Amino acid sequence: MPPKTQIRKDEWEKRLHDVDLSKQDLNQLVMDYLVIEGFKTSAEEFSKEAGLNAPVDLESIESRMTIREALQRGDVGEAITRVNDLNPEILDTNRGLYFQLQQQKLIEFIRQGRIAEALEFAQEELAPRGEENPEYLAELEKTMALLAFESSPSAPAAITDLLSPAQRMKTASAVNAAILESLSQGKEAKLVGLLKLLSWGESMLDERAHFPKVRLISLLPLFAHRVN
Amino acid sequence: MSNRPARSSSIPIPGNPRIPRIEDVLVLPPILAHSPNPRSRTAGFPRSHINNSPERAFPSSSPRTISTAPPRAISGSYSLVASRPTPGLPTNQSQPVFEPRIIRATPSPSRASDPACFPASTSPTASRTRRPSATRHASGAHSAVAATGVRPSALSAQIQSGAPPQPQAFPRPAYLDQSALRDLLITEPPVSATAPRHSEQPSRISITSPPHPAPHVLSGFLTSHPYIRQSSPSVDDYSDREDTTSPPPPSIAAPPVVPMTAFMSQPVFRLPTKWNEMDRHPSLQVSPDGRDLTFCGPPCAGDKEAAAARANYPVPPCCGIYYYEVEILQKGNKGHISIGYSAGDVRTTRLPGWERHSWGYHADDGWSFPGHKDGNPYGPTFDTGDIIGCGVDFSQHRAFYTKNGNFLGALTRMVFDNVGKGHEIYPAIGLRHTNEAIRVNFGHAPYKFAIEDHVLSQRNSVWGKIQATKIDWELLRGGSSRSSEVEENTGSTGATAGTASVVEDNETNAEDKSPMRELVLSYLAHHGYVKTVKAFQAQCEGRATAREDGMETDEAPFASSSSTMYASAQSSQTGRGFEEMNQDLDLIRRVEIVNAVTEGDIDTAITQTQIYFPDVFKHEEGLVLFKLKCRKFVELILEASEALKRVKAEEKQNQGQAQSQRGRRDTGKERYVATEVPGDALDGSGAMDVDDPSPEARTPVSEPATLSSASSSTTYPEVVADPDPTIPSNNNILITRTSSSSSSTSSTNTATVSASTIAKNALQSALTYGQILEADYKSDIRPEVKSHLKRTFGVVAFSDPLAAGGEVAEMAGQEARMRLATELNQAILESLGKPRYPALEMAYRQASACIVQLGLLSYGPAAFADMSKEFLDG
Repeated sequence: MPPKTQIRKDEWEKRLHDVDLSKQDLNQLVMDYLVIEGFKTSAEEFSKEAGLNAPVDLESIESRMTIREALQRGDVGEAITRVNDLNPEILDTNRGLYFQLQQQKLIEFIRQGRIAEALEFAQEELAPRGEENPEYLAELEKTMALLAFESSPSAPAAITDLLSPAQRMKTASAVNAAILESLSQGKEAKLVGLLKLLSWGESMLDERAHFPKVRLISLLPLFAHRVN
Repeated sequence: MSNRPARSSSIPIPGNPRIPRIEDVLVLPPILAHSPNPRSRTAGFPRSHINNSPERAFPSSSPRTISTAPPRAISGSYSLVASRPTPGLPTNQSQPVFEPRIIRATPSPSRASDPACFPASTSPTASRTRRPSATRHASGAHSAVAATGVRPSALSAQIQSGAPPQPQAFPRPAYLDQSALRDLLITEPPVSATAPRHSEQPSRISITSPPHPAPHVLSGFLTSHPYIRQSSPSVDDYSDREDTTSPPPPSIAAPPVVPMTAFMSQPVFRLPTKWNEMDRHPSLQVSPDGRDLTFCGPPCAGDKEAAAARANYPVPPCCGIYYYEVEILQKGNKGHISIGYSAGDVRTTRLPGWERHSWGYHADDGWSFPGHKDGNPYGPTFDTGDIIGCGVDFSQHRAFYTKNGNFLGALTRMVFDNVGKGHEIYPAIGLRHTNEAIRVNFGHAPYKFAIEDHVLSQRNSVWGKIQATKIDWELLRGGSSRSSEVEENTGSTGATAGTASVVEDNETNAEDKSPMRELVLSYLAHHGYVKTVKAFQAQCEGRATAREDGMETDEAPFASSSSTMYASAQSSQTGRGFEEMNQDLDLIRRVEIVNAVTEGDIDTAITQTQIYFPDVFKHEEGLVLFKLKCRKFVELILEASEALKRVKAEEKQNQGQAQSQRGRRDTGKERYVATEVPGDALDGSGAMDVDDPSPEARTPVSEPATLSSASSSTTYPEVVADPDPTIPSNNNILITRTSSSSSSTSSTNTATVSASTIAKNALQSALTYGQILEADYKSDIRPEVKSHLKRTFGVVAFSDPLAAGGEVAEMAGQEARMRLATELNQAILESLGKPRYPALEMAYRQASACIVQLGLLSYGPAAFADMSKEFLDG
């Protein structure tokens, strides 16, 4: 690799200054963040203060958050109802997601020790789907194995993980993404992507050039206003 | 040497059989007589054809003829050269109407001609129809170009009337729009018809031509580019393509614009546009339009000898993917044609691929050669009429080929390694035997292969890998990079490389949420979106509480990153420290001050800044205060201008009505008085949209302020009462402020004063203020101060500065207030030890600068990190 290029500070600052970026652009990025991350009241205030139109109906943020919370506390039935209230097409057109929700429901039955209900639910709702698709069947088998390994410390991680909070999160995240997609929104806030790109760009450039780093974090605490 | 008849089978071009072969009549100049340095192309290089044509509907590959004959329309010049379809020579079947015209600057010693004069006898439309007779005139591209330079006006008029455009200049191919650095990539700018060109090539401006189409007129000419006739196929070739290729031709509505102003500090990269006349084997002829290569010398002897040519510019790696196509015009007997790339120092006596730093795909056996004589079986052989595409992907430093629009091999199949790594590479062609000929498409015409789709998919793949990077908060703290793993992941791996190992499950990575929120929060605070700040904090804390309550959420406690960096933010859970209270007040006051500026209430802004952020005015010797005062002066002038307008309006009305109007105007004066009540102001104050000029939104607010001040012309006597220029600036402020606060009481009196008196007083008041301002700063020799003062006073010269337009309106209008407000905001932040830009904005700017720098350092993947598309659109 050739020797690193040396970039002067003033040169770099001119580059920074020349970047074509408006406050409007940044406001949109912030709005996108507030919407995707589900900060409904913040998004409302921001919409007023910055004079921006929210990219989606802000009410949808609230129901999306409600759905996520329902899944995070294990109330799958509630989540399914609300998703269908929001937009029935989401589950109709996304069979894999629907299966994932049903599987989660089965997991919650098992977690609560409602074994009879779990069996009945598996036979009536999930087994027919397993016949449709081998992938579903494998997942179903894995889930049913929970019954066999109940409270056994020797259970394989792949199976006990189904009972972990991460599994709920995974399902909640998938539903969240599907809802966002149905609203033509990205599933990840653009700001997150921006910081990923910044991390990538700085590390790539770091290998090739000496240049002023941004020291982004050190800028932050100075701004940690607490306004009540 | 002549291979015309054979070539015509693949290039259906009408020709006139009666034309003698050019070789027979031409005096060939020394081919390499031009310049000792093959890379030293200058703008004056004669083969840079003019492209000020607004359209390409009827492309021609030949240089525009400027004849110096008696008046003729440019379409008339077609007739000089338009060929008639000749039996035995195929014509363009699909578009018989679009018969190509070969335009030649035609030296004819016997006649003087005038490029400015063309006969009006033929219309532009007529120029597209078949001519009964056609004569091919040979002339040099030099002549044409030079002549164009001589008479730009004549040409431009003609061009707009439908003349065929010059083929040489073309816009950046559409697939390159996928590059994040597209703005740095330019095709050769159109050669503007300028005098310098004339003076540069004086010896070549010897254009003469016959006044009428004459079938047999042929002239010898002395240029170094005698191979005009090879350009003739291109015309038909082009129109043929328009029928057969799916993508529409790139729009050529306007000549490519060189974005020089936007990149003064950055280089631009020239894209290859033609074969380099100066960088080729002597046996290869380059057509005048620079696209064709024909082998014209004695066949190469032995196994090693060959004749190669390179394009005029190397391929900029910040293209991401670069692609060009080559049509095999004539394969010849053996088909020893190599298509590929080579570095600038590779000998032109070898086929690309045989030598180190060159790569080629060979027609005769379909093998690929990666820089030495040992090739590998790669693709099919190719033959006359085939179109071979040749691309290089700088995100992988590998090449790919297409044949007649089909990718060779699977879409991810690449060939060669380390293509263009560490050195510049040029599109390169090698030929070995007589009659072998090719024609290149560097973007002159639509491509056969759907290159845009291919680039898009590669781009998405690379972008996906970039986005698999974990946010490296350590790095963003200014620490060291842990990038080696990232490099492996996003660097030179193929499109199918797995990324699962580093794919971040954003939902489960709670640690990253906290700094993200801090970023957003600091942004909101920076711009004073007070209510949003409050709502956001409340929501974040609510989520953190939910987590503490044991609910399964993905929330980390707000601002509880392990980093001590956030220590200051955490104390809020228990109680607010004195420090924070002050920060709150700072924010509120800052918002008020900035809002005052955007509303034109400079007095309030100055006073409040003086009281709460006195350091601001000490910085840079009070530059900001100076600018505020200048703005105050402009505001006064605007008031005077408003008052004058009212005078004119009231002249048409009766006095009573005018007075009642004035009375109404005086309302709203109290709006800036209550600025020191933080609690109330917090609820009442909006955000400061300082650098977001939205006049529609702002004007209704600001105008009343201006009006009310205008009518309070009683301030005038108080100001002039103490016009001592030596008093400190603070006194000025205070006087003005006092007077304005008293204006509400005195306004009832002014209501009885006539409008013209008000206007007079307003103007007087403004001028007096201006005199003091001038006196205060006349000894300040800083250039910035001087020029700003000058521009400020320039506003006086206009009775209605806002309507004046141009620089004056720019100084006076709402946007100027916004700029000043932004400046003041930043100055206040700096005085508090805070950065000028919010961290969020820095993140974007830094990322963008990194990407550009990576592109400049030839790092291919950077081309696929298109920030404006990913983050700003939609």
